Amino acid sequence: MTEELLNLKDVKKYFGLRGAPWRKAQSVRAVDGVNLVVRKGETVGLVGESGSGKSTLARVATRLLDPTQGRVEIGGTDVTKVRGRRLRPVRRRIQMVFQDPQASLNPRQSVGTILSTPYRAQGIRPTRTQLVDLLKQVGLAEQYLERYPHEFSGGQRQRIGIARALSVKPDLLVCDEPVSALDVSVQAQVLNLLADLRDELGLSYVLVAHDLAVVRQVADRIAVMYLGTIVEEGPAAQVYEAPAHPYTKALLSAVPVPEPGVDRDRIVLTGDVPTPIDPPSGCPFRTRCYKAQDVCATERPVLEPVQGSTEHSTEHSTGHRAACYFPEPPPS
Amino acid sequence: MAEPGLTAPILEVHDLHVTFTTEGGPVPAVDGIDFAVAPGETLAIVGESGSGKSVSSAAVMGLLPSNAQVTGEVLLDGRELNGLPGDELRKIRGNDIAMVFQDALSALNPYYTVGWQVAEAYRLHHDVSKKKAHERAIELLDKVGIPDASRRADSYPHEFSGGMRQRVVIAMALVNDPRVLIADEPTTALDVTVQAQIMRLLDDVQAEFGTALILISHDLGVVAEVADDVLVMYAGRAAERGTVRDIFFRAAHPYTLGLLGAMPRVDVPPKPRLTTIPGTPPTPGSITTGCPFQPRCAYTHRVGERCITERPELTPRPGQGDHEAACHLGRRPEVLL
Repeated sequence: MTEELLNLKDVKKYFGLRGAPWRKAQSVRAVDGVNLVVRKGETVGLVGESGSGKSTLARVATRLLDPTQGRVEIGGTDVTKVRGRRLRPVRRRIQMVFQDPQASLNPRQSVGTILSTPYRAQGIRPTRTQLVDLLKQVGLAEQYLERYPHEFSGGQRQRIGIARALSVKPDLLVCDEPVSALDVSVQAQVLNLLADLRDELGLSYVLVAHDLAVVRQVADRIAVMYLGTIVEEGPAAQVYEAPAHPYTKALLSAVPVPEPGVDRDRIVLTGDVPTPIDPPSGCPFRTRCYKAQDVCATERPVLEPVQGSTEHSTEHSTGHRAACYFPEPPPS
Repeated sequence: MAEPGLTAPILEVHDLHVTFTTEGGPVPAVDGIDFAVAPGETLAIVGESGSGKSVSSAAVMGLLPSNAQVTGEVLLDGRELNGLPGDELRKIRGNDIAMVFQDALSALNPYYTVGWQVAEAYRLHHDVSKKKAHERAIELLDKVGIPDASRRADSYPHEFSGGMRQRVVIAMALVNDPRVLIADEPTTALDVTVQAQIMRLLDDVQAEFGTALILISHDLGVVAEVADDVLVMYAGRAAERGTVRDIFFRAAHPYTLGLLGAMPRVDVPPKPRLTTIPGTPPTPGSITTGCPFQPRCAYTHRVGERCITERPELTPRPGQGDHEAACHLGRRPEVLL
């Protein structure tokens, strides 16, 4: 079996809410029991709407946040309890690219300094050649090394963010909305760059994004999140072409397609995502679901193999699975 | 309503120029554009950041800061709006022409209930009692799909979700039955399932009231779905305009074609690589001669010097209707690749 780079086991992340002392303590259940495996060479797309917990999960996976419960394994080692200095070897394997390149680059540091920071954190002094090679890898020229972030466009800044993440030669890049701040024409450049880097360096990605078309372009496998849980997971082609969970189906049908006259058979969901402070009992999606029945309120459905899925499910399955009592039938 | 002249434009803009006076000199943000929209129709203005699409609509509304110089004609039902004194313009703004902004949270006042804010928009243009205005506000909140509107009217903006806030802003825009509604990226800040709700709402509103809609968007998916006509802007100028089918099926400008190729699609298996447009959009005013798209264009070598020396004007393309593109390349670009 291919090497497991990342293995999240029943990960939960609750954020405590500070309220008045006489009130019952509340917490936001941002991530509420997620299992996810990322293997070498694959790109996993993590999709969901705002508040689904996808960014929090990405931050737990990169150990930028401590999970409230559950296990984080990176490269087969349990790193859940690893802290501080001892996290450095972990960070060499897994790096993060952030959404807003404006906010994630220090405006007072030159590109050269920005790129050498991860090296220095690992106790290495990078040579100029190493830094120039990094820049070239993301399609930027040598002369940019002395420049400062404000001198770059959004797309170029995102390239710098990617170069910085690549500096320690990680196996896995976790990209949190890497293109959502970019114009369409520039977004395509960055998506192609991510694909090229995967082919050249054998990188794996976790791609967190709300834009389902962007994720389809690059991901091999998709995990759909809703209110802190994964409601559907599977090979990209299967999830996009034959979504089994009603939420996935509605979500996909809501995406407008750049072709006039295409009939989309749209399922328009009513209402908004419930608050993760007090999620619904049973299935988290039942309050907006067009298929909900009484049983949906009783117990939370677990991920189970979808009928017609090509692979058999085991604990470490990569087959198509959905957490629903009434999954959509496979297309005939 | 089948009355003659229904398709005559309600809003016409001719040769609109907007120049900002800055410390670094004049910046031409909009450099001569024309557009028109008829009752019940939707015109989409698309473009990337810095293309001038938002500035154009703000100019129509007379909402630009004092360092902006606006020239050209803005005709509402034949009446010139550009240069009208402030108090005259205020009678029209929010009444005949209303606007919906991208960020509903900053378009609402956090100190007042949403009902009060919608009612105030009504009272500004109608001499009615507060009670009547409040009733009107509730009617509109109900119309835009706020559940339990009479009770929710007493809530404050922070008590609403993003989608519900955008509904409130739309209610406020519609309260005076405007003839033209300008929506500047109305769904960009929203989740896709909520976006679907809001686009459906705008569609219903248009069908019911025959409102002319100008939709400003960077999302070609949304545009394909709702627009009748499309204006593609690049660097403050019109790159191409035509019906939605002209633009999506018979794109005549290399920039339009590039944008379409750069859009990943959710409904078909992915292409191995997305088509990209090299480089980035120019800053306004940085390209003064020739075609503003020329430095990024893959077809320049087909034309030669003209792209650098001569500014292309919108010229008609073969086919029906008013399909026009500003490109020296006389033929459809994709045929050449």
